[in-house]
Amino acid sequence: MAVRNTEHRWGALSQLFHWLIVVLIIVQVTLASLADDLPPSARKLALLARHKSVGITILMLVILRLLWRSLNLTPLLPDTLKPYERFLARFTHAALYVLLFAMPLSGWMMSSARGFPVSWFGFFTLPDLVPKNKSLYEALLTTHETLAWVLAAVVTLHVAAALKHHFMHRDDVLRRMLPFTTTPGPKA
Amino acid sequence: MTPRSLAEAARAAATLMLTAALLLGGDARAADAAAVTHYVLDPAKSSLEFTFLQAGAQNKGRFTRFQVAFDFAAANLAAGRLDVTVDINSVDTGDQERDETLRGADLFAVAKFPQAHFVASQINRTASGYEAVGKLTIRGVTHDARVPFAFRTATENGATVGYMTGKTSVRRLDYGVGQGDWKATDQVGNDVGVSFALRLAAH
Repeated sequence: MAVRNTEHRWGALSQLFHWLIVVLIIVQVTLASLADDLPPSARKLALLARHKSVGITILMLVILRLLWRSLNLTPLLPDTLKPYERFLARFTHAALYVLLFAMPLSGWMMSSARGFPVSWFGFFTLPDLVPKNKSLYEALLTTHETLAWVLAAVVTLHVAAALKHHFMHRDDVLRRMLPFTTTPGPKA
Repeated sequence: MTPRSLAEAARAAATLMLTAALLLGGDARAADAAAVTHYVLDPAKSSLEFTFLQAGAQNKGRFTRFQVAFDFAAANLAAGRLDVTVDINSVDTGDQERDETLRGADLFAVAKFPQAHFVASQINRTASGYEAVGKLTIRGVTHDARVPFAFRTATENGATVGYMTGKTSVRRLDYGVGQGDWKATDQVGNDVGVSFALRLAAH
């Protein structure tokens, strides 16, 4: 598989970014729901510290991913799409990118507002984005939680669309983001 | 008595008085330097803070209620004594939930151990100032401790005040501050930095 994208297929690096972020989002949901059920404790602190570190990792990955995207071809949408489907695809992808920024940033701001500086796995401490403020913290907590549900909804739409392409349209939209597959179309 | 012997007598008396004055004056100055001054805390202008590593990042806290008694004479260090009592309930890390956790049984256990206490009956001079050598008790556990500090006095509105500053560090687990899961040091570090800036009034 080529590292770079082609008009018909996502390259290895784009796929790596995509699937790494998928795995990390699953880790994030797991850590957050485990921590949510706990009273204040050392274990809760550890889970939330990991959650923050992984969140910052996703933020770094999404920045790199967008840079790579800007330096690369973006595989074309199939010609068979109706205009509203084209719009919906573009909108969903844009929303996913926005949420991939908004989730870690709202989490980081929330931690700053709480007065708990964010460390990246203990290697370095990030600057506080906002001053410590209780009501701001509460507003950001609500925002972070709400955005998580919005992300869940958009991801559901994204997955449903990929499956629809694969099983109903029988095109290569899903396959071209999967490693170890071949896609039709002109070879380089 | 001849006038000559009178003059001699006067000279002798003057010399005697001068010598006495010098001796007495000198004694007074020496006694001044060795006199122990008793200082008490000016709580409004004093702070007792601590720093700790939480989840990889430096965090800060302070105690808002504590008492200090300090006996000190620069020329008579042997008479020095420092006594500090900290009301652990007054812990303030800027986060209510965290403060409640700190007061809980697995950390400070304030219900059982409401106070921390440092008492030093030995004050030493060091290259950069002084150190108080004594016993520190936290959560019912006592260990020897040395606390370095700087001390200077000033006269403010005709009264003598002392400024004492310093910092040291305490290993929380030496005193059992951290039971159960809190014994782990990966999320909350063992080393806790303690710093103080005290204004003391001579009593």
